[in-house]
Amino acid sequence: MTKIELTVNGTKHSREVEDRTLLVDVLRDQLRLTGTHIGCDTSQCGCCTVHIDGRAVKSCTVLAVQADGTDIVTIEGLSNGDQLHPVQQSFTDCHALQCGFCTPGMIMAISAFLKDNPQPTDEEIYHGLEGNLCRCTGYINIVKAVKRSAELMK
Amino acid sequence: MSQSQPANRREDLRLITGRGRYTADVNLTGQLHAAFLRADRAHAQIVSINAEPALRQPGVVAVFTGADAIDAGYTQFPNLMSFAGRNGAQILKPERPVLATTAVRYVGETIAMVVAESALAAQDAIDAIEIDYRDLSAVVTVTDALAAGAPQLHENVPGNLCFEWETGDARAVEEAFAKAAHITRLKVLTTRVAPSPLEPRGSLVSYDAASESYDIYTPSQGMMMLRKQFAMLTGVPEEKLRVHTNDVGGSFGQRSGVYPEHGALMIAAKKLGRPVKWVGSRADGFMSDAHGRGIEIAGQLALDSAGEFIAARYDFLCDMGAYLTPTGSISHLRNPATLMTGVYKIPALYGAFKVVLTNTVPIAAYRGAGRPDIAYAIERLVDRAADELKIERSELRRRNFIPADAFPYKTPTVGVYEPSDFAGCLEQALTTADWRGFEARRVAAKGRGKLRGIGLSTIIEATGAGVFPKDQVAIEVDAAGKLTVYTVSMSSGQGHETTFTSVVADTLGLPHAMVTLRECDPARELIGNHTGGSRSMAGVGSVCKVAADKLIEQAKPLAAEELELEPSQVDYAGGEFKSRDGEKTISFVQLAQKLAGRDPHPMNTLAEATVGSTWPNGCHIAEVEIDPDTGVTEIASYVAVDDCGTVINHQIVEGQVHGGVTQGAGQMFQEEVIYDRASGQLLTGSFMDYGMPRAGLVRDINVGDHPVPSKLNAIGAKGVGESGCTASLPALANAMTDALRPAGVGHLDMPYTPSKVWHSIQAAKINPSK
Repeated sequence: MTKIELTVNGTKHSREVEDRTLLVDVLRDQLRLTGTHIGCDTSQCGCCTVHIDGRAVKSCTVLAVQADGTDIVTIEGLSNGDQLHPVQQSFTDCHALQCGFCTPGMIMAISAFLKDNPQPTDEEIYHGLEGNLCRCTGYINIVKAVKRSAELMK
Repeated sequence: MSQSQPANRREDLRLITGRGRYTADVNLTGQLHAAFLRADRAHAQIVSINAEPALRQPGVVAVFTGADAIDAGYTQFPNLMSFAGRNGAQILKPERPVLATTAVRYVGETIAMVVAESALAAQDAIDAIEIDYRDLSAVVTVTDALAAGAPQLHENVPGNLCFEWETGDARAVEEAFAKAAHITRLKVLTTRVAPSPLEPRGSLVSYDAASESYDIYTPSQGMMMLRKQFAMLTGVPEEKLRVHTNDVGGSFGQRSGVYPEHGALMIAAKKLGRPVKWVGSRADGFMSDAHGRGIEIAGQLALDSAGEFIAARYDFLCDMGAYLTPTGSISHLRNPATLMTGVYKIPALYGAFKVVLTNTVPIAAYRGAGRPDIAYAIERLVDRAADELKIERSELRRRNFIPADAFPYKTPTVGVYEPSDFAGCLEQALTTADWRGFEARRVAAKGRGKLRGIGLSTIIEATGAGVFPKDQVAIEVDAAGKLTVYTVSMSSGQGHETTFTSVVADTLGLPHAMVTLRECDPARELIGNHTGGSRSMAGVGSVCKVAADKLIEQAKPLAAEELELEPSQVDYAGGEFKSRDGEKTISFVQLAQKLAGRDPHPMNTLAEATVGSTWPNGCHIAEVEIDPDTGVTEIASYVAVDDCGTVINHQIVEGQVHGGVTQGAGQMFQEEVIYDRASGQLLTGSFMDYGMPRAGLVRDINVGDHPVPSKLNAIGAKGVGESGCTASLPALANAMTDALRPAGVGHLDMPYTPSKVWHSIQAAKINPSK
C-alpha cells in the first residue's frame, strides 16, 4: 500500500492505495465521484476522462500512485457553482447527449481539447473526438456542441 | 395539442454534471462483489471444476458453480415465442443453467462465480479455479451448423435446428412465379453485430430473508418485462422481486432480457445474506451481452411485364447463438413476417424460417430486431430488379407502392397497415436530396477520380405491440399542485422525462416544470410494457395524454364544488377550471392546493389503454463517394424523411434518427462480430478490434418530418426509435452498389470495409461481374 495525496475538484484527499489501483477506481469507489464512468477496459471509449493538472487523461489508464501530488478536476468539479461550463451548456443546448453515459468523458475531453485548439476545423474535431465513443447520438450533435462551445469560449 | 418545444431536455442537467445514477454507481451497505469465470473455448464438456484454490484466496467468501444453479433450479430461460412451427411443433428450448454444468457452448459462457469482499479480490480468484475440459468441435455459422455431420450443441435440438416456421401462401407464390415475366433473386446477410451500449452490464442484488424477497438493481428497458422474466427463470413470485433502475446507459434491445448473471447473483445474495454486486467489463460485454441480427435471407421477387410486383419469397436462416434468449427468436420471425410486403402491393407472399443454434453468443433483439433485416432484403431486391429491367429506381417503387386509397391495408401475411403516404415521403426525400440532379455529381466525382453513388430505401416498420395487454400511467398531485407521472417503461436515452411530461403539461395547459416523471418506481404497481420496438411514445406517451384528459374530467366535479356550479357547467382550458360564462374560475394549482388535505389527493389519476402496433415509415437517401485507390468510402450526404406520426419533440426525433442511422452506417461500413471458423474463438472482443462508429463517420443528416398522424393512439405518434437502422442499411447498400457498378462490382455483403471494397474493385478489373 502506498499513501497518495490528490487535490480533486479543489479538495485535498489523502488515501492508501494498492500499487495496482487505477485512478478511476479511487475517484469512483473511494471518493464516490461516480460521474466519471468506466465504459471499456482498453482505453478506447473515453468515458473515464478527467483533467490532471489541466490535461485530459483517461483515468482508467493511470495508476493512482502516478497521480500522487496532482490537481484533478472531474465532471463534478467542472462547473463554476451553478454556472455551467460552456461545454456542458453546449451539450444540453445542442442535444448532444441521449443516455448520458459517455457524456462526462466527452465534456472533459472537449473542454481540454478546446484549450489547445480554440477554433478547430471539422477534421480537427473528428480527430479530437477519436478517443471518445458514443453509441446514442451518432456524434452529429456532439460535433455541433464542440463548435458552439468554441463560440461561447471566444 | 399545442406543442411548445422545450429547448433543453429535462434529464440533461444531472447527466452533464456527473449526477446521473447508473447501476454501477449504486452501493449497498455490507455488499460483496462478484466476478465470473467464463468459458475460454467455444465448445467443450466440463470434466471437472475445482473451486477450492479460489476459496483460499484472500477476501474470497464463496464460489458458486453449476451445481448451485441446479440446486436452485435456475436452468430454463424464458423464451417469448408465442406460436407453433411447421407441423405444429413447438420451439425446442435448450436447457441453460445460469452457471454451466456439463458443457460450455460459446466463448464467454458463465461457468463459476467468485464472491469476495472486493471486486479486485473476486477477479483475482477467478484465475485460481481449476477446470478440466474435453474439447468438442465448434460451429459458428448457420451453414456449418446445418451441415450433415455438424457438431451437435444440445441433445434435444437435432441438427442444431430448433424451430422451422412458414408464413404466407406457398402455392400462390409458386403459381405467380410460374407466370412471371421476370424474377429477381438475391441472397443477403445482415451481419452479427454487438449492440454495445456504453454502460457495461452489471447488477446488484440483495435478499431479505424475512420477506423472502429480492431487490435487484440493474439496467433495464422497463421493470415489468424484466421482473416477469426473473420470475420465469427463478420461480420466485413476481411480488417478491423489486427491480430498481435509475439511469440507463443505452440499451438498444440488449437490455430487454434476463441474463445468467442475474440468476447467479440472486443465488449468492440469498445464500450469503449480503448484497452482491457485479459490474461487467467491456470484455465481458463482447463475449456475453446478447448480440444482434445475424440473418441470411434468400429473396426472390417476381414481376409482370408492366414491372408490377406479383409475388415474393424469402428463405430466412436465423442464427440464435448457443441458447435462446427471451426475445431473439420471436422478434427475428414475427417482425420480418409482418413486414414481408414492405411498402409494396405484392399479392402473393411466402416466407420460410429456420432458427439455428451455433457456438456463439446468444442473439436477441437489437434496434429494429428483424425489421432492418427484412427491409434490407426487400429494398436490395427492388434495386436489383430496377437495374435488371432498366426501370428507374424511384419509378419502380412508385409503381408498386400500396396506394393511398388502400388503407387500412391488410397485408398477405399478418399485418394491417394504417394510413401512410409512401409516395409523399419518397417525393419529399427525392427533392431534398436532389435525386434528379445526381448524375452531374457522379460525373464531377469521376473527374476527381472517385466513384460516387446514390441509393434510396422506402421502408415501413411495425412497432412493438407489447407483451402486456395494456399500458398504465398514474399521475399524482401534491399539495403545491405539482404533478408526478409514473410509468413502467424505461428511458435509456430517449428522453421520456422531457416528452412524457410535455404531453401531460401541454394537455393540462401547465408549465412543463410543474410535471416530473418517475419511471419504474418499484413501489408503484403498474401494468405496462417496456421500452422497445419503437413503442414508448405511441404506447406510454399516448397514455400520458389519456391520463391528463382523465385527470381533467375527474377534477371537474371537484372544481364545480369550489365554484358552486353543476359539473356540466365547468370547462377547463389553459390551466383553469371556469364556468361556461367565464365569470367564475379556479386554477389547477388553486384547486390542487385546496384539496391537499385529503389523502389520497382526489385529483390523483390512473389511466390505461391498449396500444398495439403502429406503422412508422419513411424514405432515406444516401449518397456515397468511394476512393477506388484505397477503398475508403465517405458518406457524402444523407437525407431522412420519416413518417413517425405526430412529432411531440422534433429535436428528440432528430436525435433518434441520427443515432439509428449511425448505427446502421456502423454496421454497413465497419462493425461485425467475427468468430474464428475453426476454433470458435471470438476475434472481435474489444473496442480495439470491433469497428464502433466514431465521430465523422456520418457528418450530417438532413432529417425531415412527414407526419401522417396515427389514429391508433391518443396522440397520433407512430414511433421513431428504429427507423434509422431500418432505413439506412438498404439506403447505404444501394448507394454503394450504385457507386461500384461502373467499376464492374456486383453484389457485396456488408460491411463495406475499405479492404473489401478495394479488393472487389481489383477483382472486377480482372473479371467484371455482369
